[in-house]
Amino acid sequence: MNKYEAVIVLNPNLSSKVDNFKKDFEKLLKDNSFNIVKTEDIGRRQLAYSIANHNKGHYILFNLEGDPSKLIEIETKIKYNESIIRHLFLVVKEHNGEDSSLFVESKNKKPETSEVENVKEVVNTDSEPVKEEDLEDTSEGKQEEGEDNE
Amino acid sequence: MSKYELPKKFDYKDIDILKQFITETGKIIPARVTGVSASNQRKITKSIKIARFLALLPYTDMHQ
Repeated sequence: MNKYEAVIVLNPNLSSKVDNFKKDFEKLLKDNSFNIVKTEDIGRRQLAYSIANHNKGHYILFNLEGDPSKLIEIETKIKYNESIIRHLFLVVKEHNGEDSSLFVESKNKKPETSEVENVKEVVNTDSEPVKEEDLEDTSEGKQEEGEDNE
Repeated sequence: MSKYELPKKFDYKDIDILKQFITETGKIIPARVTGVSASNQRKITKSIKIARFLALLPYTDMHQ
């Protein structure tokens, strides 16, 4: 038994069918007596460079346990799956129980875009002049304090 | 003292940390410039190369 970390980058056009893919992949893993410890659906991300003419990819992360001999069979099946544009299996000593930074980032992004932007707009329109005055006052105050200390 | 953010364990998924150690053109910055220890530099290079393969980081700025 080895512990594995698998990253799979899916074709972004199939983002809506991710659940289907997950089911198929989990079935493939179970058929090869692999144990799924954890899955992280990171979602669509901008790729650093284009792969097979795709600029975005749907990232999914798996923490797995299984036999190395069976992994070869899984990889041969993945190779001919056209919806997967890139995959990587890594052997790890211990599974990291915490959420990966990519997953946390993707979680944070979704609420921020809808709520925080609106809040910022309100702040800018209402309290801009007041804020500037405050800033000037405080900066002068700090300078005076500094001189006193010297 | 050090101006770089160093985690306890380097991971190819912590892109923000790894980005400190590549140039604008995507090259890995040598340890003699950053002053990172040899053992940490080895871990950084390994994680950067994995992140590049997964298109989390660029190999170069000339990608089309």
